[in-house]
Amino acid sequence: MSQVRILLRKSLLMFWRAKAAVAITFLVPIVLIYLFGHVFGLYRKDSGPIGIPIAVVNLSQEPAAQKLIEALKAEKAFRVITTRDLGNGATRPLTEADVRAGLHDNWYRYALILPADLLPDDAFGVRMKFLFNPRNEIEAQTVNGLLQKTVFSNVPQLLGQSLQKHARGFLGDERFERFNRNIANIVADNFGGDREKIYQQAISGDLGFSDLNRTGAEKTSVPPPGLRRLDATPAPSGPEAQSPGSKPEGQKPAAATPGDQESSTDIFSRMVKIETEQVAGKEVKNPMAARLVGGYAIMFLLMAVSASAATLFEEKNSGVFQRLLSSPVRPAHILWARFMFGVILGLVQITVLFCAGRVFFGLDIFRHAGALFAVALSAAAACSAFGMLVAAIAPSAAAANGISTFVVISMSAVGGAWFPVSFMPDYIQAVSKFTLVYWSVEGFTDVLWAGKSLLEVLPTIGILAGIAAGVMAVAVWCFSRGRLFD
Amino acid sequence: MLAFCNVTKRFGSITALDDVSLEIAPGEFFGLLGPNGAGKTTLMSLAAGLRTPEAGTVALDGRPVASGASAARRALGLVPQTIALFPELTADENLRIFGELQGLRGPELRTRIDEAFTAAQLTDRRRSLVKTFSGGMQRRLNLVAALLHRPKLLLCDEPTVGVDPQSRNAIFEYLQQLNRTGVTIIYSTHYMEEAERLCSRIGIIDHGKILALGTLDELLVQLPFEDEITFPVDPATAPLVARLAAEGEITAVDGTHRFRPRTGYPLSAFFALTESLNLPPRLFVSQRPTLEALFLHLTGRTLRDA
Repeated sequence: MSQVRILLRKSLLMFWRAKAAVAITFLVPIVLIYLFGHVFGLYRKDSGPIGIPIAVVNLSQEPAAQKLIEALKAEKAFRVITTRDLGNGATRPLTEADVRAGLHDNWYRYALILPADLLPDDAFGVRMKFLFNPRNEIEAQTVNGLLQKTVFSNVPQLLGQSLQKHARGFLGDERFERFNRNIANIVADNFGGDREKIYQQAISGDLGFSDLNRTGAEKTSVPPPGLRRLDATPAPSGPEAQSPGSKPEGQKPAAATPGDQESSTDIFSRMVKIETEQVAGKEVKNPMAARLVGGYAIMFLLMAVSASAATLFEEKNSGVFQRLLSSPVRPAHILWARFMFGVILGLVQITVLFCAGRVFFGLDIFRHAGALFAVALSAAAACSAFGMLVAAIAPSAAAANGISTFVVISMSAVGGAWFPVSFMPDYIQAVSKFTLVYWSVEGFTDVLWAGKSLLEVLPTIGILAGIAAGVMAVAVWCFSRGRLFD
Repeated sequence: MLAFCNVTKRFGSITALDDVSLEIAPGEFFGLLGPNGAGKTTLMSLAAGLRTPEAGTVALDGRPVASGASAARRALGLVPQTIALFPELTADENLRIFGELQGLRGPELRTRIDEAFTAAQLTDRRRSLVKTFSGGMQRRLNLVAALLHRPKLLLCDEPTVGVDPQSRNAIFEYLQQLNRTGVTIIYSTHYMEEAERLCSRIGIIDHGKILALGTLDELLVQLPFEDEITFPVDPATAPLVARLAAEGEITAVDGTHRFRPRTGYPLSAFFALTESLNLPPRLFVSQRPTLEALFLHLTGRTLRDA
């Protein structure tokens, strides 16, 4: 044990002397976590994409078309482009040819064309054309979803106009006017309101759906008479009548995202009400950060310990092993000292990175310090054993670096260091459970996200400890058959 | 003290040591002379217990070295061919680590480290990082690092490779001083001058076999000539070469003829011949044969060519 302790102290001293290694081990991951925090928007209070350029060509004369464009502009996810710069400050409305060229040249990747026959004469309904250049698959899916939400929120009014247009053609002007007058009278008699205003509202195609789509700013005005909201929600009164903030903690309307809670009163969320309740991690200030820091900490730790284990080759080539092994030092002493060095290095690195997570993202690491330490220790042991295995099976330092780069990146991707495993196909999810990255990230999120106690995370710790023991046993066996100590 | 008994060591299809038997007596300064790849380092690593032979035994004071017995290991010190130090640490930290690994602690360790720095003439650089040392300084530190625990047997595997003449002389003097204090030294080299200068007994090794073994005089007596005369390859000396062919062995290497007269051939006859051919005496150098000549005689190759 004395030999292991001396060799361990030597490794720590050498690591500390290698300032570049210290910087790479600690500063680089911290900087990258900080940058990835920006990439994933962990510093913003809201979430989701912002300012994706979308070109809109409006060839329609319908007032609702302009309203649809305004609705798109209100979406923070979009930056709506409707004109083309001609120079000297002059602009003109975009044409379809413009946007096709723009899509081709990647000025923007999405375009919505509202044709002249937005409300066609020959059919009931609404016509639009969506052009896109799916350079980024994830972005395309996000934009599609947001666009559909915005368009469909305005479709009812467009459909109302289409309906009135067809009714006029079918009934003729005189009977069309009489029909709408009758409707306005019935509404006014039964629900109150000004007959003329209701009539004007009806012939404009607004059959009451527009009120469902009004934004927060519009809702502050007095609702127009006539058809009322389908859900017949009582008028706000008293302190209970608040937006999601007044609901019990963790409960929010289904469609309410932090950025669009005010506009969540669209027709669909009014008709289908889903209450959601978060049952874990309510108090976590920055939930994504828990996974981000944990995942990247493990990935960088694997890289660090693999590089450290690869230095065994340097010591062999320098003849240090010859000197050591001709003294009362055995190969086992060298291996266990290097394993313990990896564990200590890992523990310190994880601690530093979680402290950085505390500073950058407000991770609550102190409330769960005991459980977090236990998970970090077992994860560090598993990572260190992995580094030893790489050194054991590789024929040279260069090969060890190549193998570790391949395995670490693969294991990080599959194990959920970059993306939640639940995003991945079933078979990948099955494979991920065979990686130490998966169990390490699970352990960290169990502690930081779900707030599990030491007792509750013991199974995960046990699995990580088992991985460490198993991998180290294989590594020692490989070392005994390899040529590192020849 | 150290005994190799019918030792054979193979690396795959290559036989690095072939049935080698050798005994080193206490207090000896034994030289192992041979070209690169002859088996010197393999023999050293077997002596240090770093490898185990396929056949035969290696014993230090009657105890097998390869058994891993700490007592056997504490009795020997190894100076590897390479600079086996931690370049990122200071000289002092290096010696401290190697001393502690040998079981030294406290004041005793400090005293040994001080002595080592004095011996290596590095006292004023003890706090410097080893990577800032010159090659010679690193070699000296490499040597004294193996001596902290005062081994009875010191294994030096080509310890002067790449060393400047000044450092080489310092190392030689220190090793000779150590040997005078009773330390047994096995010194492997491919420089015959080092073996001739330092070693009381020399083994010549090639292709894993000990070709010759003995003191310098015992080895040189194996040569079929007592003197060696060199002269330049030149048209003027061509008639002389033709006349000498029947009087001994004559070779031409690098523009120089080497004439090794047969036993009984008097040098006076040689110089009478040169005088009759009007060749000036300044062209000729007569010297005692060297280990180089012995190696050439034994293998048909020079040490440098091997």
